[in-house]
Amino acid sequence: TNHFPWLTIIVVLPISAGSLIFFLPHRGNRVIRWYTISICILELLLTTYAFCYHFQSGDPLIQLVEDYKWIDFFDFHWRLGIDGLSIGPILLTGFITTLATLAARPVTRDSRLFHFLMLAMYSGQIGLFSCRDLLLFFLMWELELIPVYLLLSMWGGKKRLYSATKFILYTAGGSVFLLMGVLGIGLYGSNEPTLNLEILANQSYPVALEIIFYIGFFIAFAVKLPIIPLHTWLPDTHGEAHYSTCMLLAGILLKMGAYGLVRINMELLPHAHSIFSPWLMIVGAMQIIYAASTSLGQRNLKKRIAYSSVSHMGFIIIGIGSITDTGLNGALLQIISHGFIGAALFFLAGTTYDRIRLVYLDEMGGIAIPMPKIFTMFSSFSMASLALPGMSGFVAELIVFFGLITSPKYLLMTKILITFVMAIGMILTPIYSLSMSRQMFYGYKIFNAPNSYFFDSGPRELFLSISIFLPILGIGMYPDFVLSLSVDKVEVILSNSFYR
Amino acid sequence: MEQTYQYAWIIPFVPLPVPMLIGVGLLLFPTATKNLRRMWAFPSILLLSIVMIFSINLSIQQINSSSIYQYIWSWTINNDFSLEFGYLIDPLTSIMSMLITTVGIMVLIYSDNYMAHDQGYLRFFAYMSFFSTSMLGLVTSSNLIQIYIFWELVGMCSYLLIGFWFTRPLAANACQKAFVTNRVGDFGLLLGILGFYWITGSFEFRDLFEILNNLFYNNEVNSSFVTLCAALLFTGAVAKSAQFPLHVWLPDAMEGPTPISALIHAATMVAAGIFLVARLLPLFIVIPYIMNLISLIGIITVLLGATLALAQKDIKRGLAYSTMSQLGYMMLALGMGSYRSALFHLITHAYSKALLFLGSGSIIHSMETIVGYSPDKSQNMVLMGGLTKHIPITQISFLLGTLSLCGIPPLACFWSKDEILNDSWLYSTIFAIIAWTTAGLTAFYMFRIYLLTFEGHLNVHFQNYSGKQNTPFYSISLWGKGGSKRINKNFRLLRMNNSKSSSFFSKKTYRSHENVRKRVGPFINIVHFENKKSYSYPYESDNTMLFPLLVLGIFTLFVGSLGIPFNQQLDILTKWLTPSINLLHQKLNDSIDWYEFLKDAIFSVSIAYFGIFIASFLYKPIYSSFKNFDLINLFVKTGPKRSLWDKILNSLYNWSYNRAYIDAFYTTSLTGAVRGLAQLTNFFDRRVIDGITNGVGVMSFFVGEGIKYVGGGRISSYLFFYLSCVSIFLLVFYFPVF
Repeated sequence: TNHFPWLTIIVVLPISAGSLIFFLPHRGNRVIRWYTISICILELLLTTYAFCYHFQSGDPLIQLVEDYKWIDFFDFHWRLGIDGLSIGPILLTGFITTLATLAARPVTRDSRLFHFLMLAMYSGQIGLFSCRDLLLFFLMWELELIPVYLLLSMWGGKKRLYSATKFILYTAGGSVFLLMGVLGIGLYGSNEPTLNLEILANQSYPVALEIIFYIGFFIAFAVKLPIIPLHTWLPDTHGEAHYSTCMLLAGILLKMGAYGLVRINMELLPHAHSIFSPWLMIVGAMQIIYAASTSLGQRNLKKRIAYSSVSHMGFIIIGIGSITDTGLNGALLQIISHGFIGAALFFLAGTTYDRIRLVYLDEMGGIAIPMPKIFTMFSSFSMASLALPGMSGFVAELIVFFGLITSPKYLLMTKILITFVMAIGMILTPIYSLSMSRQMFYGYKIFNAPNSYFFDSGPRELFLSISIFLPILGIGMYPDFVLSLSVDKVEVILSNSFYR
Repeated sequence: MEQTYQYAWIIPFVPLPVPMLIGVGLLLFPTATKNLRRMWAFPSILLLSIVMIFSINLSIQQINSSSIYQYIWSWTINNDFSLEFGYLIDPLTSIMSMLITTVGIMVLIYSDNYMAHDQGYLRFFAYMSFFSTSMLGLVTSSNLIQIYIFWELVGMCSYLLIGFWFTRPLAANACQKAFVTNRVGDFGLLLGILGFYWITGSFEFRDLFEILNNLFYNNEVNSSFVTLCAALLFTGAVAKSAQFPLHVWLPDAMEGPTPISALIHAATMVAAGIFLVARLLPLFIVIPYIMNLISLIGIITVLLGATLALAQKDIKRGLAYSTMSQLGYMMLALGMGSYRSALFHLITHAYSKALLFLGSGSIIHSMETIVGYSPDKSQNMVLMGGLTKHIPITQISFLLGTLSLCGIPPLACFWSKDEILNDSWLYSTIFAIIAWTTAGLTAFYMFRIYLLTFEGHLNVHFQNYSGKQNTPFYSISLWGKGGSKRINKNFRLLRMNNSKSSSFFSKKTYRSHENVRKRVGPFINIVHFENKKSYSYPYESDNTMLFPLLVLGIFTLFVGSLGIPFNQQLDILTKWLTPSINLLHQKLNDSIDWYEFLKDAIFSVSIAYFGIFIASFLYKPIYSSFKNFDLINLFVKTGPKRSLWDKILNSLYNWSYNRAYIDAFYTTSLTGAVRGLAQLTNFFDRRVIDGITNGVGVMSFFVGEGIKYVGGGRISSYLFFYLSCVSIFLLVFYFPVF
């Protein structure tokens, strides 16, 4: 109905405006910061406006479609569109990236490049979530890696080069499989390459081929999500990156893997998915326990949070593997919910580190008195992370549990076992997250360091954490906010997977 | 009348504005909020009183008409399943909401004074009001998911309030322990809920009971699976109500402020487990194994709690173990199927125990001026004694609570406990014997606490220990250095008039012991660095603290009349509970046999008196003011029996002191196992999974270097390689012998 290219503008705006940063006059960092933040806010408002007025949430079809020919001879199109699956992650991206830019205000070194990279990531992320072309998906996937690599290797901690190399090798290694999968699917069958996701979604393949494609895509997404045993890049990366980068990584980048699993593995390859889903469930349940207990063994604060997010990803995997409406909805809700919680935890850990300059938990202690606000926010978010009812994590995990219980695909015994293992994860979560907050804040300690006076969080940091906390509460109280976006699309995906 | 029910959804939400406002205020406008601090107590008490009036109204209607009301709204709508929110008003709900609001108001009034000089005053009131919200939500909830939600929320409030003084390392550990232990229970609860959802497809209580009954009737259900799910549900109640395997958190929870111990860890939240079992009793009652399990767990807890309470030094811990034991009585009653007596005991025990805890708070408050703010000292019964002269009103109310808990006739707990004990005869002889014995033990330990606290002389001055010999009491001030000094000063200035007046009454014979007192520890010197003499004696608490004590004392006196059948009519409680009662097989006849009742009552009272007598024999310090804890000295003269008696006493003491070795066992086995697992997975993660990755990296580096070297472009090395290959080939080719 509406031919205004909303999505193209939304995708292209941040990176093009970001490249203008280099032409700004040399007037210090303040100009650059304000410019970047205003671009981010403008983009967020634009997205919200476009989605409010041009997106019908009851419609499971692709909306706001745009289709421009890009490279003719292998049918490569600039093809964008959103549906119920991608609208949530896009809004999350806008929100978290804006806040991450706000969180990055203390960054002064090379701030031009830094802010440009943030904006470039903004584009790449939204492009990934809104593209409808398989090759474009791959391009956006790769576009994401470079800024993260640079952000990590230039603004990271002491071991930043090691972690950056590890990150790029892992993810680029995953991308190889993604590329193979993309080319394989695109070139299969007809004489002309087909890269349009809509056409591909209705195509069927021989089972063996489908399994091969599935494995290829799965490896790429498993690195990104991450799924054990391909997760070791994550704690290193999170341990070293600046906390604004961490917010992006934990909030959005991990969710790209989950999104890819749903978008490509479930939608395009339903047979293989139903073959592999029991394994997904097993891996997911193992991951919850494994990462939770590894997190308990970490001394490094950021690594502990990183492992906790690995553990939470297990719920997404189980939700995707359960092949029920409920389970998939729960997984999508967990994507959004962990996007908020993970980002907030990394932000608070980073700000705490900025003040006390200690990384290891056993060296910390007793900072609740000088920093009551950070203490309050950190406790709230760790409560959210351990799935306290009334917050978003609880609803997501509960719905995943229901998805698992009601799934008709599995035997009773398997369901009982997997539920049991997941629920053990529920016991381990408070152990690590509460002992983390206990080691950081509780107790009493006399700081004999010269700078023993700490500032509590200022208005900017307070605003940041509150504005992440409100959606967490909101989703926890009324999950239909998010669920109503995705319900219809999820139904379509699952009906496809059963009746073909 | 309909309208009252229609607006009942408001019950949980009425106290909610207080924590929200305080939270927002503390985060955004800290100074302004803190300046208003005492003002915040009024809205919280006011709102809670509104709820109280509302629930009294509801209760009266329930007594008159006794009908069940349920309203439901949908919460999330999905295609497969929908979660609903609603509320259910039935006798159980009205009883519980009455209980929560009355005790809650008393505790709020009390804590206004108790916490007056604490820096966390506002935080405290925010937590308290939030607790009332979630507890009221728990009792009005109409389905299992809602129960689970509020169940976790009260657990969180308990966590926050136990860790309220977060600078104390012990409190930090205790709150985490409480949360994790409760999470183990929640684990069971969630799994049980999911299991029953799978069986019946519903969360609503009444649908659940109906469907399950039908399934049982038609034999369509795997009974072992149902039993498993019910046992898992029961786990939640076990953890929350501090029953046997998961009771470890309750005594540690006493690290929190005393009003909290009264409200959360004695009267309301720990009763949530009882509430859950009572709520689900129609479900449990069709599964005989579960009923047996419930009564078994109950009786174990009864005995364990009582024996553990025997030799506690800390007054609050002693009361905590007593709470555990009494909760065991309720659980036992539920397991026996006598729903009415369990609820009756829940009510009477809540008031008596709240009274006792508030009384102990008053004691602690008065001791703090002498021994300082270390809970190891101010709650230590070794240092107390002879407080009757100093705090007479507290003494009277504490005595009331003690007598009530012992089961002395006109007081509340007598009626309810007697019912449980009588029912236990009908259930099983062994259980009955244990329950009766424990009634004697209850009397013993309660009077031990009472006598050690109030009789004799103040032991702080006499106890001839020096700081070196004792375990090092950590005596860090609560809120950091600057804060605590300021508080102490304020405190002292405020208390000046009070304490002077009270110390006039006390004798002046203890002056000579000032030297001893000085050596008690460095902390005392800090507290008493000015005007030492006026603080030598404890003083009575403020009126604000005494008022709740008196009100609760009145409750303790008269709340028993709820369940007493006057002149052959049905008593109020039975009327109240009618709709629920007809679900059960009631063991008692409708007409009450007075002769039977009198016989049992005399028996139980005589057991209680026996316990009191032994306690006063052992602990009543008639002859020596220097007497301290060891029971053994008393029996030095008893001759040949002595060694055996010694052994028994020693083992009992060790048993109680070491908390029945259960905590130590959990520490070594479970905590150790979790730590070991964490170490193992961490090692595995670092060395194996990450090791492979790094190994691949290093390998590729070496391969690259090697290739760089090999592909270096030197003709001579290529020739050498070529010739050596050829020569090896020739060697192998021409000498096939090798």
